[in-house]
Amino acid sequence: MTRTRTAALVAVAVATATALAGCTGSGGGTGATDTGELKAGVFLDVTSWDPAGADIGFDGPYLSAVYDPLVALDKDGKPVPALATSWEWSADRLTLTANLRTDVTFDDGQKFDAAAAVANLQHLKAGTRSGQAYLNVAGFEAKDADTVEIKMSKRDDSLLYFMGLGRSWMASPAAIQSGALANGPVGSGPYTYDKATSTPQSQYVFTKKQNHWDNATYPFPTVRLFPITDQTASFNAMLSGQLNVQFANAANLPKAKENGWNIAQKPSSWVGVQFADRTGSQAPALGDQRVRQAISYAFDSAGILKAVGNDSGTVTNQLFPSDNSAVYDKSMNDKYKTDMAKAKQLLKDAGYPDGFSVKMPMSPIFQAWQPAANQTFGELGIKVEWQDMAMPDYQKNAPTFPMFLAVIAMSGNDMATLTDQVTTAQWYNPNPSVDAFPDVKALVEQVERAEPGPAQTELLKQLNTKLVDLAWWSVWYQADNTYFSVKGITVTPVTGMMFPTLRFIQRG
Amino acid sequence: MLSFIAKRLLSGVLLLVVVTSGTFFLAYLAVGDPTPGLLGNSATPAQQAALRARIGYDQPVLVQFWNWLSNAATGDFGTSWRNFQPVGDQIALRVPVTLSVVVFATVLSAVVGLAVGIACGLRPGGLLDRGLKLASVVLFALPGFWVSLVLVIWFGIELKWFPAIGYVSPEQSVGGWLRSITLPSVSLALGAIVMVAEQLRNGFLQVTNQDFVRTLRARGLSGRRVTAHVLRNASPAALTVLALMFVGLLGGAIVVEIVFNLPGIGSLTQSASQIGDIPVLLGLTAVTVVFVVIVNFLLDLVLGWVNPKVRER
Repeated sequence: MTRTRTAALVAVAVATATALAGCTGSGGGTGATDTGELKAGVFLDVTSWDPAGADIGFDGPYLSAVYDPLVALDKDGKPVPALATSWEWSADRLTLTANLRTDVTFDDGQKFDAAAAVANLQHLKAGTRSGQAYLNVAGFEAKDADTVEIKMSKRDDSLLYFMGLGRSWMASPAAIQSGALANGPVGSGPYTYDKATSTPQSQYVFTKKQNHWDNATYPFPTVRLFPITDQTASFNAMLSGQLNVQFANAANLPKAKENGWNIAQKPSSWVGVQFADRTGSQAPALGDQRVRQAISYAFDSAGILKAVGNDSGTVTNQLFPSDNSAVYDKSMNDKYKTDMAKAKQLLKDAGYPDGFSVKMPMSPIFQAWQPAANQTFGELGIKVEWQDMAMPDYQKNAPTFPMFLAVIAMSGNDMATLTDQVTTAQWYNPNPSVDAFPDVKALVEQVERAEPGPAQTELLKQLNTKLVDLAWWSVWYQADNTYFSVKGITVTPVTGMMFPTLRFIQRG
Repeated sequence: MLSFIAKRLLSGVLLLVVVTSGTFFLAYLAVGDPTPGLLGNSATPAQQAALRARIGYDQPVLVQFWNWLSNAATGDFGTSWRNFQPVGDQIALRVPVTLSVVVFATVLSAVVGLAVGIACGLRPGGLLDRGLKLASVVLFALPGFWVSLVLVIWFGIELKWFPAIGYVSPEQSVGGWLRSITLPSVSLALGAIVMVAEQLRNGFLQVTNQDFVRTLRARGLSGRRVTAHVLRNASPAALTVLALMFVGLLGGAIVVEIVFNLPGIGSLTQSASQIGDIPVLLGLTAVTVVFVVIVNFLLDLVLGWVNPKVRER
């Protein structure tokens, strides 16, 4: 999914850059405790009020204020009921039947029903950003007023997860039809967007509806969301009491503790080297498993996490989340423990005793990792010619290079991790190359056929072991996202959401 | 005087056309196809093509330029490629924020710079004069964002006199508006105050030593009236610096708007640059050039009034 990738890249890199600049705030112990309203500093502005054009990463808090989802997620990434009260898969898992609430009305007076749900789902499937969640969906049908059927063209065990992550916000069908969503939201969510007191791109104000069907989940009478890209400004706002929740820079953890704030952290992105050319079509050396393994052995992941990542993360070579994935296997983390001698030997065995030359892209936000990469590649004899480019160009051009430095958002669902990171072509995984590795292909097919549950998890574990062994990626560590909140407000991070939706920000 | 005004206006219009044209072609060269960034990398080629057609990017560059230029001449800067809102509306929303800060900073620079400059000119070598010299070295050595951060930490976080971030419009609260623009304005103005004061002080000392001042004193004019004459003759350099500072402050506003999270044209320029939103960038360029032209025009008028010889140039 493209959803959180840009956000992840920007967020993690800027957090690191800010940490390196090390120029934030005073001490002071002036922690604000005003919890009457929620005042949250979000890293990015809302991408679009149209759910089909929205990004998942940082759009969650904005969209969750004004829209209800068909399916929501719990803190572990498990799909839970929202406007869809229950659902059931057919035996062949090619049809999903969902029952809907019947007591919901959109802000423009339109009633939510199965026809409205179908109109929304069709709109989301056609959306340039949202469409990828529905790639395996053949169509939607309203069976009756409160039942909707989703017909699959191919089994997809991650569909409900992606719907819950932020791909099933329901908007007024009339607003979709007229294109009104480009100018502002028309949903049925727990809050009303107060356009008069909001300043787009600076401050968004939402006031609570008294008769929302899920009133208990949203404790704040007013929500103010501030897009603040500069993390120093955001931290200063937190110190001054203008914010009571913040997407934070881990470099400020000591200050947060001094102020007595709540601190919430969760793995959100993997950091390392992405091998876009595992078959060696561009850079023949990378087609050799030993070369990829050599690169994995060479990097001092713990050192990089400490120096660049504020020690806020987990050193691992896997990209199933280290905190809540049943597939993640801690015992494998030492497989590529830093060993330069072994790395050089592997390169020699592969026929590259003097290394090789390769071109890699570079953009300003990756510069924090560049010295470590330069040093490590240099010790291996790998001569890197860096090609500088702006951040938007990085996403456009990185897939054309045989390998590149990566900060990629992770999924909180194991099947989604498989599709996101392994089997589906994405900008960060331009050549899935599963077909070129028969062992991998066979395991993927078994996983996709397996019954969801322990059997499927066991196969995913085997696949994970295989991918780590093949050095499918050179993962250095999983970086945490960090959130500060004042006493009286708690944030529950969710892997896959760069900033959690409002249901995960509670009093307490 | 009329031909003087006409010449200045004509040169302003020419500057506007040249700068916006240059920006247009440079932006096109630098940005390239904007559709992957605007739609996300999962967009299909058909979706990208549809967007290119919608924003007119599929037309030859010269045709796009002509369309933009002819529309801009009527005040229509097109729509943003990011959110399809009219560029004019977005800029109109943000200009008051930047102008609030920059004008307040300019007024502060003028008033404080004038007072300090005169005081130093009247007592060269005095305590204030030495302080001004020290300040000119220190303030130019310090990065602007650092000065802003120090102000935020002292007056926003420790003392809580002013908000650390954000902007309040005067329609919402005049007091809130003044409080929200004080720290950004002061951080912008500090360097400008020193520059204006130094220019005025030097000009003041130069003029004080001229024969006509001695004559004025010999005629028995009061010290205040002599100072007024000296000031009128010493002020052109300081006025020019002040006008240049105003233009410079518009550029400096980018850093200040980021540090204070202000929704002005500086932060809009930054975000539009990041995503390659060319219509917004062009609109911002045009508005900024218009400001520069107006300021220079007003400066020329004032200088022409102060010194009629200027009109002959």
